Amino acid sequence: MIVIQTDDVDIGALILAAKKHGTGAVVVFDGVVRDDNITEMELEAYEEVATQELDKIAKNATEQFGLLHVDIIHRIGRLVVGENILIIIVAAGHREEAYAGSRFIIEAIKVGVPIWKKELTKDGGRWVLGEHGHGKPKPG
Amino acid sequence: MRSVWRHGDEEENSEEEEMTVKIRFFARFRELLGTDIMTDVVAGTMFTSLITTIAKKNPEGYAAIFDEKDAFHEFVILMKNGKRIDIADAAKTPVADGDEIAVFPPVAGG
Repeated sequence: MIVIQTDDVDIGALILAAKKHGTGAVVVFDGVVRDDNITEMELEAYEEVATQELDKIAKNATEQFGLLHVDIIHRIGRLVVGENILIIIVAAGHREEAYAGSRFIIEAIKVGVPIWKKELTKDGGRWVLGEHGHGKPKPG
Repeated sequence: MRSVWRHGDEEENSEEEEMTVKIRFFARFRELLGTDIMTDVVAGTMFTSLITTIAKKNPEGYAAIFDEKDAFHEFVILMKNGKRIDIADAAKTPVADGDEIAVFPPVAGG
């Protein structure tokens, strides 16, 4: 499942579903709203493009690391401290591929998927600054 | 929001074909300039000139996207119909009827 949505997901159910034949390791990445003196976090996406980019990232990770299963659920809308923002579930035959595939996916999302976060505070709000590396167009 | 914009020199040319494009700003740019802006333009309108005109409606929005030399800030990301446009190519990239133009700051998901 590759999806951008407002709702949370049942991570336990996703782990069960990820255990395909041949699975020896499942790695779960769960990015959560950190308590940086904020009241809430607001997430916004260019949904059509972001979903396409997540699909490409999952496909690349699957090919590069021989993954057996990939889920990426990125939430948008208003979230409070402690809520899940991004869940990545990766299944592979061995831990090396599972860890590497999961890391590849989160780093690719950070630099290439049009999603933004605004930290809401008692005094207003501040947009989280993006990471460098996305100012250049992709080849082709 | 809907507006009509034409090249100044072509304003009186009634034979120019009108086209409609959609402009989407995101994150801080959206807060300053709005989004899903449907705009009528004439044939030959270029990406940069269109965004320049729209952004000038709010000085703070303009300053967020363009530098003091009226060039896109190097961190600004441009898309036409979901495909990246290099800033260096935007001034000579025409927009066409039905195009979706997107302009946004560096991404920060995850």
